[in-house]
Amino acid sequence: MTARQQTRSLAEAGPEHKPPPKRSQTPFTAFSALFKPLASLRLTIVCLACAMFLVFVGTLDQVQIGVYEAQLRYFKSFFLYFHLPGSEFRIPYFPGGYTLGAVLLVNLIAAHLSRFKFTWKKLGILILHSGLILLLIGQLVTSIFEEESQIQLDKGQTKNYSESPYFDELAIIDQSKPDSDEVISVPAGRLIKGQTISLPVGGMQLQVDESYENAALINPNQLPSQSYPHLRLGPMAVAAAVPKTYKQNERNQPAAAFTLLKDGKPVGSWALSSGFPQPVQFKIGSDSFAIVFRPKRYYRPFSITLEEFKHDRYAGTDIAKNFSSKVRLVDPSAHENREALIYMNHPLWYSDLILYQAGFGNNDQTTILQVMKNPSRLLPYIACGMMAIGLVIQFGMHLISFVRRRVIA
Amino acid sequence: MKRIVPWIIFIVFAGWAVSRMVPKKPNSGFDLAGFGKLPVLAGGRVMPMDTLARVSLLQMNHHGIEEAADNQKPAQPLLQTQWLLDVFMLPEHSDTARVFEVTNPDILDLFGWRKAGAYSFNDLQPFFSQIEEQASQATQTDADARNAFQRGIVRLRDVLRLYVQLRNTIEPQDSPDFGKEVQIFEQAIRPGLEAVRNRDAGKPYDDQAFQRILLFTHRYQSLTQAKFAYAIPNPKGKTENDRWSPVSEALLGAIGTGQIPYPVRVYGRMVSSYRNGDAASFNQALNEYRQYLRQNFSPELNRPSLEYFFNAAQPFYQSLVLYLVVFLLAVFSWLVWPKTLGRAALLLLGFSFVIHTVGLILRMYIQGRPPVTNLYSSAVFVGWATVLFCLVLERIYRNGIGSVCGAVIGFTTLLIAQNLVFDGDTMEMLRAVLDTNAWLATHVVGEVLGYSAVFLAGLIGIIYIFRGVFTTSFDENASKTMGRMIYGVVCFATLFSLVATVLGGIWADQSWGRFWGWDPKENGALLVVLWNAIILHARWGGFARERGLAVLAVFGNVVGSLSWFGVNMLGVGLHSYGFMDQAFGPLLAFVTGQLIIMGIGLLPLKYWRSIRVRMQRAPEAGGVPAHAAEAG
Repeated sequence: MTARQQTRSLAEAGPEHKPPPKRSQTPFTAFSALFKPLASLRLTIVCLACAMFLVFVGTLDQVQIGVYEAQLRYFKSFFLYFHLPGSEFRIPYFPGGYTLGAVLLVNLIAAHLSRFKFTWKKLGILILHSGLILLLIGQLVTSIFEEESQIQLDKGQTKNYSESPYFDELAIIDQSKPDSDEVISVPAGRLIKGQTISLPVGGMQLQVDESYENAALINPNQLPSQSYPHLRLGPMAVAAAVPKTYKQNERNQPAAAFTLLKDGKPVGSWALSSGFPQPVQFKIGSDSFAIVFRPKRYYRPFSITLEEFKHDRYAGTDIAKNFSSKVRLVDPSAHENREALIYMNHPLWYSDLILYQAGFGNNDQTTILQVMKNPSRLLPYIACGMMAIGLVIQFGMHLISFVRRRVIA
Repeated sequence: MKRIVPWIIFIVFAGWAVSRMVPKKPNSGFDLAGFGKLPVLAGGRVMPMDTLARVSLLQMNHHGIEEAADNQKPAQPLLQTQWLLDVFMLPEHSDTARVFEVTNPDILDLFGWRKAGAYSFNDLQPFFSQIEEQASQATQTDADARNAFQRGIVRLRDVLRLYVQLRNTIEPQDSPDFGKEVQIFEQAIRPGLEAVRNRDAGKPYDDQAFQRILLFTHRYQSLTQAKFAYAIPNPKGKTENDRWSPVSEALLGAIGTGQIPYPVRVYGRMVSSYRNGDAASFNQALNEYRQYLRQNFSPELNRPSLEYFFNAAQPFYQSLVLYLVVFLLAVFSWLVWPKTLGRAALLLLGFSFVIHTVGLILRMYIQGRPPVTNLYSSAVFVGWATVLFCLVLERIYRNGIGSVCGAVIGFTTLLIAQNLVFDGDTMEMLRAVLDTNAWLATHVVGEVLGYSAVFLAGLIGIIYIFRGVFTTSFDENASKTMGRMIYGVVCFATLFSLVATVLGGIWADQSWGRFWGWDPKENGALLVVLWNAIILHARWGGFARERGLAVLAVFGNVVGSLSWFGVNMLGVGLHSYGFMDQAFGPLLAFVTGQLIIMGIGLLPLKYWRSIRVRMQRAPEAGGVPAHAAEAG
């Protein structure tokens, strides 16, 4: 028994040395019976092990489905599903990131409520676990409110919007008002074949006749056969249905055919693809409209102009040394009109957005800026700071007591 | 007497290692060492000629040192610098040097050859059009989808191109006497320009002078294709890009100024005297040039000369050998003279660590970077940090385990590092996003310290299992001590990996706009953190005690190796540096080995030799020893 105590003495952080509270002493027996397993260390370990498995499998699967899709399936989901082949049924077989995070969170809070009594010895653990709780909550908030988009600018070009790298929209633009256009947008995900969508203006409805998640723009005579599923976009182009892509540097280009109805009467039918986002003009009565299938846009109160893009290389090599974009930022409402330089590890912060140098193209004539909006951006900083401090305190105290004991011995 | 013996053993091995680090005097009248220290810009950085030679040879064959032309090994292996000098100044000689390794049987078949081995440029010359054709076909396949033949033929084409580029670094490869050529060119500039001006103005002109300058211009314009290494420094240049130029540009620039830059002229003199076998005047020109560099470019000259000594001393290779010696001494200390050999092992481990440290510091100074910049240096640093941990452990516990662990991990990681020198230059320039010393010094170093602690805990776990299952000397005390060691090291692993992962998140947020993106490398780091957290909680909860801790720590090796190397093999994500696919086999073998060891560790206690023996000795005590009676 003495041997056991010695080995354990290093690990006093654990709560197990204390005799378990006697049931008769607690008035809420049923409550604590439920509480106890929720607060157990065993559950913690099971959750952590499940998390490891999830992270491992989710990482491996990135080879097949790419980082973004893996995030959705494994980490930003409640369950992993097994899809029964040939049917719509899916069977959940493993908890996803949200479930595990939630269980860990409950476990952690329950453990602190039920077992932890504050002592100075446990200060480190307490701070560490509080940081972890904050981190889990922060990641949840982030995954809900985060908004990621990109601005692609050619030299000299000005834009007052950014575009989603993943999502597309069908936009109907009302150009009849003299000073500004009104845009109604339908997310591409809602364009399901056979459905009719009511639009929030003037009794308009959208009837979806065909919809592809991804389509390749090709010449009509490149089609393998006339029966191959395709939409005719124009005399020289068809959108041929292709499987969804998960490659890192490719984007899905949905295509759809639909009929616009006003007061139940058809106004016009179009086939459009987001791979060819050119607006098509049409009229209802004397009002002129345009319709376009394009990457989802986020309009901004300011505009950005690319003045210069630089791609520096190390002397005598093709190894990139730096990418930098000199942009002009114009925000009439805030009376701002200034130049800014965005380069690697040096983003531009403006209002609630941060603009990063993300890529380039078109022979170094085009820059791609990543635009991030994340209201909970500071949470992980605070959380991680707490976790680090907690760890240092905890292990620091271990180390001091260990050294002290050795000095005495 | 007993006190002196460890010191004698120590001095013998330490002296041997030091003697191997002193640069060898080449057997030649030409000042090869002086030439090897000359700076040149290649791969985006200023390096000594010696490094350029080593890097180039490493790409051509795995040994880095050439074989002699007549297929007989010379008494003294030829120095890399000598080969580079031949390539630069006496190409007809280096064309016969067998430096191009051809091992792929399909490529050998293509040439009608049987024997895998090193071939010379002249051997390969008849097949150039075939190589070019096959390689350009192969490049139409994605780089990671190519088969061994395609990879091999592309590589062969690339190194042949590299060789041709090198041949044109100092002079046009067909120049019979570059020193004289430079002189003639300089004399031809003024009358030539006058002739051009007169001709343009419609006046009578000297046709011979005109033709001559035209000839030189064409000659040097076609030389501009060779731009692998920039040999000609320009003291007036402001940016790095302006300060160095290939010889072709320097010559063409001379047409405008009428004056040939001094470095070109002095290289011309070196070439002429080298070709004439005139060592004295070669050395004189070399010395004058070094004098010139010292006056105009002192910082550029400093680091390359230091790098020359670094290359010659190969500190990491010396420590690798010493770690092996330490390991053998430590193992023998278990059989005979435990005190004496154990002390010698510890002394030598300390000395080896000093060499390792000096090597790291030199590397950091030469590169101007924190210690870890690529996969190679991460392996070097994992070894270094582990040995440091081990020295501390040995200082505390004095049971020899620290020495053994330090030796094993130091040796293994340096061996891994030696195999990670893919394309020669281990100090290559860093891609844009990595070009930040602050994050490299904190996040990357912390991450690597975490790996070091994980592997150290894993190795102590292995020793625990092996001593328990296979030896009789393993008692309860030893079990407790090792358990405590594992626990302490896991605490450090948790601390470093968690803090470093967090810092990585902050870096990602700063440069990509998201704290966490579930990128493979990030997930790898997360796995290490999670596993360490599991170990600690399992111990705190009493689910795992010494034996359980040992088994769990061994699995840490699996998690650590997958995170360190495995994620690089996936080929996805933003951290696209340090990719490698050849290491898959060894990694799989390593993981399997760890799982087998865990299986051994989980054997029922009646199969543990140490426990069987103790139970036989003390049957009256009854039951199982305390340290073994545990849940998992």
